[in-house]
Amino acid sequence: MAESTTRQNELYQEAAGSYGAALERLARGYEADPDRRRDLVQEIHLALWQSFGGFDARCSVRTWVYRVAHNVAASHVIREHRVNSRTLVGLEVLETLPSGNDGERVADQRHALEKLLKLIQQLKPLDRQVILSYLEDLDAASIGEITGISPGNVATKIHRIKNVLAHRFHEGGSHGE
Amino acid sequence: MENEPSNNMKNVWRNQPVASVTISLAELHQKAQKFEKRILWRNLREYAASALVIASFGYYIWKFPAPIIRFGCVLVIAGVLFVVYTLLRQGAARTAPSEMAFRSCLDFHRKELERQRDLLRGVWTWYLLPFVPGMAVFLLGLFQRVMRQPNATAHVSLVMTTFGLTAAGCAVVFIGVWRLNQWAARKLQREIDALDSLGKES
Repeated sequence: MAESTTRQNELYQEAAGSYGAALERLARGYEADPDRRRDLVQEIHLALWQSFGGFDARCSVRTWVYRVAHNVAASHVIREHRVNSRTLVGLEVLETLPSGNDGERVADQRHALEKLLKLIQQLKPLDRQVILSYLEDLDAASIGEITGISPGNVATKIHRIKNVLAHRFHEGGSHGE
Repeated sequence: MENEPSNNMKNVWRNQPVASVTISLAELHQKAQKFEKRILWRNLREYAASALVIASFGYYIWKFPAPIIRFGCVLVIAGVLFVVYTLLRQGAARTAPSEMAFRSCLDFHRKELERQRDLLRGVWTWYLLPFVPGMAVFLLGLFQRVMRQPNATAHVSLVMTTFGLTAAGCAVVFIGVWRLNQWAARKLQREIDALDSLGKES
């Protein structure tokens, strides 16, 4: 019993060390309010620690961490959505919506990040999971493993994400146009 | 062409400044205990609300000696207990953290939506129907009691209208709740269908 708890603690500490920053970024994609975001991050860490009590290596630690984190965060979004009844949209809808300006220059990183966050936070949970995984530079196979979406549909969604990003953000400054 | 905006946005995303949160194991233990306490309090609140209804109908059992009214009250109390039991069972069916890792996001999301849909679809059987026999018998008992009052026969139409309206009011509320829940369940079903198509190759 004590041995399994030690293993659980070790796994959690390793995961928190390796993915702590990624979990922070993930939480930013799900919650805009700083106080509620802090609670969400803590909720993710708690679920992660508890989940490692049942870790059986059926998937990689990375997949495990992202699945738990995304599932906790998606539950948070659904819960908040019930309270606020804010309309969430899919990528296919976002792709057709006008961007509102001629595209943000990536050179203005802070502004671009704010705009990117707003864009992510209006997405439905599953599309949010795909775009956040994509931005974390996970490949299509890993995104499929974490989300359970078929490879073909992951490819379609990534294509849409690229379109949306291309329309709303473009190169500027030192990056050239 | 693997293109600049998306790749640059990846950089923007991954290089954003984030406050690193470190949570000690002791803190996690504390939080787990706090979470369990929160669940306990939530359950206690549900018990308290039910206890209030049970106390009210318990009072009617004491107040009205007529067996039919008492029987109606017992049925309402049984209905409340059944609803509390169902709610607690639903609460206990929540996903454990380790299960979150065994399920893909799609599967997890689908199961959560299904759980909500089934709860809404079955609202008639677990939330409304348990109160119907009790309320019907209770109203019938009250009706008989009123009709036994002196001069009641002189006001039969008034008494009938009052009870008729009360029964119709209850029916309207029940049907309204049922229809609203069915509408919400259909909405969830559409979301589930959309998720299903994501798991399959088109």
